[in-house]
Amino acid sequence: MTLADARARCPALIVQPSDPEGDARELERLVRGMGRFTPTVSTDASDGIILDVTGCAHLFGGEEELARQALALAGYTTRHSFAANASAARALARHGGSGSDEDVLPLPIVALDLDEKALAALRRAGLHSIGDLTRRPMRTLAARFGEETVTRLRQILGEVPSPLVPHREPAPIRIGARFAEPLIRTEDALDVIEDLLVQAARKMEARKLGGRRFGVMLHRSDNVRRSLTIETGQPLRDPAVVLRLLRERIETLADPLDPGFGFDGIDLAVFRTEPLLSRQMALESREEEKADSLATLIDRLSVRFGEDHVHRLMPRDRHLPEKTQALVPAMRTQAGVWPAAEERLPRPLLLFDPPQPVEAIAGVPDGPPQRFRWRDRLHEVRLAEGPERIGPEWWRRREGHLPGESGLTRDYYRIEDREGRRYWLFRHGLFDEKPDPRWYLHGLFP
Amino acid sequence: MNDAPSFAEPVAATNFSFLRGASHPADMVIRAHALGMAGIGIADRNSVAGVVRAFDAWKRIGGPDSGFRLIVGARLVFADGTPDVVAYPMTRQGWSHLTRLLTCGNRRAEKGECELRLTDLLDHAGEIALIAMEADAPLLHTLRKSFPKLWLAAKMPRSGQDARQLARCMSLAAETKVPLIATNDALFAAPEDRPLQDVLTCIREGLRVQTAGRRLAVNAERHLKAPREMARLFHSCPEAVEATGDLLSCIDFQLDELAYEYPHEPVPPGWTPQGWLEHLVEEGARDRFPDGLPDQYREVLDEEFRLIRKKNYASYFLTVHDIVRFARNLDEPILCQGRGSAANSLVCYLLGVTPIDPVKERLLFSRFLSEERNEPPDIDVDFEHERREEVIQYIYRRYGRDRAGIAATVIRYRQRSAIREVGKALGLTEDVTARFSGTVWGSWGGDELPESQLAEAGFDPTNPELARLRDMVGQLLEFPRHLSQHVGGFVLSQGRLDELVPIHNAAMPDRTFIEWDKNDLEALGLMKVDVLALGMLTAIRKSFDLMRDHGLGELTLATVPRKDEATYRMLRKGDSIGAFQVESRAQIAMLPRMKPERLYDLVIQVAIVRPGPIQGGMVHPYLRRRNGEEEVEYPGPKGEIYSVLSKTLGIPLFQEQAMKLAIVAAGFSPAEADGLRRAMATFRRQGTMPYYQTRLVEGMVKRGYPRDFAERCFEQIKGFGDYGFPESHAQAFAWLAYVSSWLKCHYPAVFTCALLNSQPMGFYAPAQLVRDAREHGVEVRPIDVNASEWNNSLEGERILRLGLRQIGGFRKEWAEELISARQKGVITSLEDAARRAELPVRALHLLADADAFGSLGHNRREAGWEARRVPAVQLPLFAAQEVPELGKEPSAALPAMSQAEEVVADYQTQRLSLKGHPMQFLRGHLTHKGVLDCASVNAARDGAKVRAAGVVLTRQRPGTGHAIFITIEDETGVVNALLWARDFERQRRPVMAARLMVIDGKVQRSKEDVVHLIVDCVTDASDLLMRLTDAGTNTSGNESRENEPSAHQHPRNVRILPRSRDFH
Repeated sequence: MTLADARARCPALIVQPSDPEGDARELERLVRGMGRFTPTVSTDASDGIILDVTGCAHLFGGEEELARQALALAGYTTRHSFAANASAARALARHGGSGSDEDVLPLPIVALDLDEKALAALRRAGLHSIGDLTRRPMRTLAARFGEETVTRLRQILGEVPSPLVPHREPAPIRIGARFAEPLIRTEDALDVIEDLLVQAARKMEARKLGGRRFGVMLHRSDNVRRSLTIETGQPLRDPAVVLRLLRERIETLADPLDPGFGFDGIDLAVFRTEPLLSRQMALESREEEKADSLATLIDRLSVRFGEDHVHRLMPRDRHLPEKTQALVPAMRTQAGVWPAAEERLPRPLLLFDPPQPVEAIAGVPDGPPQRFRWRDRLHEVRLAEGPERIGPEWWRRREGHLPGESGLTRDYYRIEDREGRRYWLFRHGLFDEKPDPRWYLHGLFP
Repeated sequence: MNDAPSFAEPVAATNFSFLRGASHPADMVIRAHALGMAGIGIADRNSVAGVVRAFDAWKRIGGPDSGFRLIVGARLVFADGTPDVVAYPMTRQGWSHLTRLLTCGNRRAEKGECELRLTDLLDHAGEIALIAMEADAPLLHTLRKSFPKLWLAAKMPRSGQDARQLARCMSLAAETKVPLIATNDALFAAPEDRPLQDVLTCIREGLRVQTAGRRLAVNAERHLKAPREMARLFHSCPEAVEATGDLLSCIDFQLDELAYEYPHEPVPPGWTPQGWLEHLVEEGARDRFPDGLPDQYREVLDEEFRLIRKKNYASYFLTVHDIVRFARNLDEPILCQGRGSAANSLVCYLLGVTPIDPVKERLLFSRFLSEERNEPPDIDVDFEHERREEVIQYIYRRYGRDRAGIAATVIRYRQRSAIREVGKALGLTEDVTARFSGTVWGSWGGDELPESQLAEAGFDPTNPELARLRDMVGQLLEFPRHLSQHVGGFVLSQGRLDELVPIHNAAMPDRTFIEWDKNDLEALGLMKVDVLALGMLTAIRKSFDLMRDHGLGELTLATVPRKDEATYRMLRKGDSIGAFQVESRAQIAMLPRMKPERLYDLVIQVAIVRPGPIQGGMVHPYLRRRNGEEEVEYPGPKGEIYSVLSKTLGIPLFQEQAMKLAIVAAGFSPAEADGLRRAMATFRRQGTMPYYQTRLVEGMVKRGYPRDFAERCFEQIKGFGDYGFPESHAQAFAWLAYVSSWLKCHYPAVFTCALLNSQPMGFYAPAQLVRDAREHGVEVRPIDVNASEWNNSLEGERILRLGLRQIGGFRKEWAEELISARQKGVITSLEDAARRAELPVRALHLLADADAFGSLGHNRREAGWEARRVPAVQLPLFAAQEVPELGKEPSAALPAMSQAEEVVADYQTQRLSLKGHPMQFLRGHLTHKGVLDCASVNAARDGAKVRAAGVVLTRQRPGTGHAIFITIEDETGVVNALLWARDFERQRRPVMAARLMVIDGKVQRSKEDVVHLIVDCVTDASDLLMRLTDAGTNTSGNESRENEPSAHQHPRNVRILPRSRDFH
């Protein structure tokens, strides 16, 4: 059934796009959480979790109580089963009834996870349950459906083992130092931090990771704790660079770092990591470092002034001149690609925002202005070129697609006045759009 | 205004520059004329597909008398980086050069593309005027060497640097001595078309308007501009504006010069076409009337000869005859039959093109050709659908690809496609557009999206985004999207076809088609022969073959016994499943009311159950008059329409009658009636219908006809627009309906066998055909490896053996291997079948699933179990010894299959079952819920409130869409239910989705005893079908498990019954 079909049948249907990666992440999170019940936890397909609770259940007050807690932790609508082996438990949970019955024989054959052809053949033969299969000679099954089928069947029956591959969580990157004598000077603390950063970098390098978010916790001997956090635009592990950012952070603290009676412990943690491969150092060219250094500069400025205060100009693919570029936070974007100079029409360096109204006298219907008054000064036009006609963005207006509703067209002229100054003026509206169109000065050419 | 400058736009594109031009050709011409231009040049991208429409529009505004010139050509877009060049043929010769040039580019490229190079243009030089849209000096020099009439385009696109560019052009012109010509390079008629143009750009480039940015046009300047405005823009270069006049005056070519000559092949040397035609006809007359042609026939024939001579149509008849003769003279002849206005002639009967004697059947309703009107003769020939390709390839062989081509069909934007693409371009998500177009039933909606439709889809009609979508969809509707090949309209010529019109490669291999569609050909007076495919002809031929092979008689289309009372008696009962044209539900319901007694009744029957007559409210009056409940009267003065309508009791039913009526009753001139006919075919596109409405209705009223009669006539004519059904077609179809009914009546096994072997065709699925045959006393035997052929076959006059082709997915090669293995000895085991017939494992599985090993004593279950074991390849050691590889194995003691399971498995593999009907296994459950079986429903009294249930066979919402017809079936028969559209919306879901439906409703019984169930409430009971698979085999006894819905089921298991056939 297609979505459109489903919609036709049920107009109120709520639709969410399928997100297998998100599902996998969420399952991963649940698996981590299940670690509190048993060390042997594994995912099962895209929507199941298997816990080996052998020898663990009594810690939680029995199997039922453990199940209750685990399900409450998961927080989803779930089905679960207990069985003597993983395959049977899985089959019962997925295909069994709701009771606590541990009998696998009545289970339907889909529990074997065979391909559809094999299932259809079994059904065609009138064999619908695991029990139906066990009553038939195993070798007749093997001849038809392969040894694999028999193995699956025997796993469910517990005749052969069904091993689990437990989930192992990579250890977080956390390093700490404790001191017998408190450190009194901030500089000494920073030395220690640098040392910790070097260790963290080594760990990250081994895992091919770089940090995007670093946290430092300083423990003062009077039990006051200060925490510092920095974020970077690119994954980083160079200790010197991270330390420089930390120093920026410390310098811009509203409440300066006060060692008081000294720090007796420092912890470093990398909260967020991203893959970062080691790079070959360039021998001659330093291109890479240049790109790096801009990113580093943006990081430093953003740490100092806050992310929302460091912007860069991005090109926008629009016809309207004032819309052809936009300011965006620099941390969150890569540099854009600007159109080459030769494919652009001449544009002034300085644009007024908003354009400044002027009074102009011009030929009808689309002649250039002969003179115009701007800021109470009259300018006599000596040279003019144009018009460059730019239509309105009709799709941004309500009913803009209807005749006469699309908005006003602009006619731009490049102007040079008698004093040799150059201007960019436009008439806002064609004569058949508006009886008496206004004139605006939009920019100044150098 | 006497100083108004003269200007003609020399470069105008239309929407046949697909997804670039935003105006119809006619709009461009009319707008240019209205702006006071001296003329317009229509040039689309590498195509002349739109020029005939422009030409047609030009003739409508007065043609040459209007003083407005139309020149046609093409804009050549090169693949090798050469800038665009616009080409206008100056003479007929130049036109040939252009069309050959385009053909050359088309044939080189993939379908729909045209790959041109500059050298191609130089190769096809001569008699063509060129405008270089952009050029440098070397290119201009190169072009001028071959094209003395050459201009350089000068444009003022308001790009900011117009003056500089014009100056640059002027100096280039001075340097190269190539004159400038002013143009606006128009893409649309008026500046208001810019939004549509932007949307088209987005559709073409796969963009959304919000993010398309500078890929959209910056302004709306590329529209047609008035001469005064152009003169103002080009005030510094007035000679460029004047040059447009030079261009017009050097062109001396009009499309109507495309004279057309029939191919000479069919005429032997030494004969004139007319002489040869008369010779052939006289020969045919001797065959049909060995005792000499009766006087009455002679008279008709002489008149026809006179007309054909006068109109010079002999070659056309000969061409058709030639094709028909080829099909008939093949070793296994292909059945064919002509229809169409000219096919009504005695000439066609005597040539053997049609099997109906027009004099005897009194079919000469009017003269087959109208003398005054310049309507080309029309003969469509239907061939067996499985073998039409042979005929097509013959035509290509006989006339050559350069002289034969299939006409084009212009694929246009319909509601669904327009909604989807405009929606995407406007940035709506597919979700929304899918929901929106989901409310369109079928591919055709109305002209515009009504607001109610928005509300139906759950949208707020006042939402501005949706209002915009609706408006723009309305504008895009009917825009051509691309060209495709017509189903079978051939254009043949004596000279090279590519000198007449460019030729394209079709998507199908070995097919080529020309750039014009049937309306274009008609407008230019070019003639085409329709070579069409008809499934029923295949079935009839197969029936004749079966009868011959089984000694049941030797028949042809022409020799089937006429006036067979038993056949008509059967039809009067509405017993017509499988019969051509009269088998649909609506037709079956009509038959007992029509009570056909002779062939002409069938002609009317075929024509009356159609949207045209239904919309025009003609059906009931006709039936009342036929049954003597209403007096036959001829409104209007002096019974002048008696001659027009007497055959149909005063009610206009056929297209020809509508036209005749317009002439006789409304005082139309023959030319006007011709225009009306064309408007009927295309009124949605052209919007000329209101004009004819006023003319027709007022004309009739003025001449003394009642207004409501006139309006009904018009309504019907409008209905013809979509589903026109001229009498000549009805006659041809009626004959096939009669022949197929005769076969069904006398040889039901033969007929069913032939129908099954011709699938897919017709209205009913194999299950219904087989069921119908069994109800008529045919014994149907199951598929068996030792008895079945590939095709279904006869084992006696009334014994039908199902063939292997009924098994879904089974291949013909397997069947052939199996049959040849069988000839050496009976198949004894599965392994035997696998080895001797070299069947792959999949074939064995299919055979086993289809329960085809019955003769080996294997039931379905055992055979399937055994088939799983047969290895794909025999091990070499066993193969060398020719001994079976499989040893004995312990018995699996499989559970027996319940009857219900058997039936379901039959349906899954063959889509029919001889063992029972799925519904019978649910009967107990259903009876418990108060459901009547279909037989009881059909026997219930009028007005009874009943509940019926059945498998959905068809869902149909015919043209006007006021009612939805649903046919359900159970083991006792079918019930025809009718759901009023007003009740549809609240139960859309069960109606659309159910495979098994429970219907509560009221029985409506007509006085002819036709029963309909008027639907009150529909319930989807499809889940009941799930019970069938496991019924009776549920050994575990734990119901909750078995009924556990699982997401991982095989579609085959979920889909127990074949899909219903839904018609729009």
